[in-house]
Amino acid sequence: MHPLRDKTAIVGVGASPQGKIPGSTALSLAVEAFKRALDDSGLKKNQIDGLLTFPGTTAPEEGYNFLRVGETLGIDPRYAGSMKLGGATAGALLHQAALAVNAGMANYVACIFGDSAATGGVRFDRASGWGDSLAIWGFMAACANSAISAARHMALYGTTSRQLGEIAVACRKHASMNPNAVMRKPITLEDHQESRWIVKPLHLLDCCLISDGGVCVIVTTAERARDLKQPLVLISGMGQAYTTRNMEREDWWYVPHQKLAVNDAYQMAGVGPKDIDVCQLYDNFTSSVLLWFEHAGFCKVGESGPFVEGGRIQLGGELPINTAGGNLSESYMEGWLHIVEGARQMRSECGERQVKGAEVCLVTGRGAALNTSNATILRKG
Amino acid sequence: MAEYKKPLPNITDENRGFWEGCKQGRLQLQKCGACGHIRYPISHVCPECLSYEFAWTPLSGRGEVFSYVVFHQLYNKAFAEDVPYNVALVQLEEGPRLYSNIVGVDNDAVKIGDKVEVVFDPVTSDVTIPKFQLRQT
Repeated sequence: MHPLRDKTAIVGVGASPQGKIPGSTALSLAVEAFKRALDDSGLKKNQIDGLLTFPGTTAPEEGYNFLRVGETLGIDPRYAGSMKLGGATAGALLHQAALAVNAGMANYVACIFGDSAATGGVRFDRASGWGDSLAIWGFMAACANSAISAARHMALYGTTSRQLGEIAVACRKHASMNPNAVMRKPITLEDHQESRWIVKPLHLLDCCLISDGGVCVIVTTAERARDLKQPLVLISGMGQAYTTRNMEREDWWYVPHQKLAVNDAYQMAGVGPKDIDVCQLYDNFTSSVLLWFEHAGFCKVGESGPFVEGGRIQLGGELPINTAGGNLSESYMEGWLHIVEGARQMRSECGERQVKGAEVCLVTGRGAALNTSNATILRKG
Repeated sequence: MAEYKKPLPNITDENRGFWEGCKQGRLQLQKCGACGHIRYPISHVCPECLSYEFAWTPLSGRGEVFSYVVFHQLYNKAFAEDVPYNVALVQLEEGPRLYSNIVGVDNDAVKIGDKVEVVFDPVTSDVTIPKFQLRQT
């Protein structure tokens, strides 16, 4: 058995208000999220001795972001750092926190993210590569990479835009049950089909939101967690993998590293796809979610399109995903809220959107130009 | 010629062979002097064997559409008159893949798997951009 299986716990989660928060900064949103997570955990600030942060798209300190956050919160940690892996950062910092607390290098690690992407003026006109080379041909913005991936999946396997729409509809339905979600008005497949093209074959309703917000997750050992305020949420398995070679790897578009990440997480946790009760799958674009079903072994290669039809992935279906609404409808917190919702599902505190009897949750992250990925198995303690 | 406002390459010692080739009507990429791997993106070192030895090697300019998208959203105002415009990921016969545009046809007339060949678009006196057109054979 893997020595870290079930040895770590998420003991506090918190999120700031989400959406358009005029006057907010990456820092102010991070601070609010930390305060809420600390309150959720019942810990005192001076017990937090680990500080891991993601500078997001608007924190000007970049790799020194943890210094600014630490100074503002008045925390001098034993273990700290900032990391930038795009939408895979949340999971990677969670894993780093797990390693740190199990190595005894910190007792309580706060993983913190704040971003004012909606009002802070993120620019999407840069190219999707190093330097500006791809913008010469007009290839730019995150949507383009996912559109390239989706177009090839459609050509090889007959996947349709309506099938992508099933994912958008499911996420919005779940967001409608989440009072903290930004986009709560239910949508239909027709709404999806009629929404304007962004980068064809992706419509507007295939794309995530752009949001202001902050999120914090506090981690300690399972042993310490047993004495704390909240029901036990265990980190049962962790996996990460990366494909750095966008052009040199023929299968880059298929994001093959995701399969490695999920398999490592399954192996550590001692579970497989049949054991998963609920998923929080990284959804920067609907097409990303399709690939997770294939990589996590819920369906065969190329069969994720038909797999998502007929309500299977909605609450009440066989495999509910993104039960708070995901990046597509809850808020674009680059996957941080996926961890929060995963923890809340394992605490059985989600009310109307609770997956009844759920004990095992798969949470995934994916970022950059499809390059980064990770998977975490959460288990009800 | 009207002023060209879209992004241009920053031509350096590292990438000059590529852009000089285009200017002369040749699509050429770096072939490793040690293992023979033809690489892209342009780099000073081979990602397969880490050799620094290479030669700029002319390619056939033939390939097929590996993936294909159409930009409707305007991300950079220099493309305002172009939207909707296409970008293809082109699989070259010799192995590498590169991003470019398919010219001379409607966006809807291109599909993944279509055969293409390089054409050269001299956009300024210094820069010629490789693009692709559909081919029959």
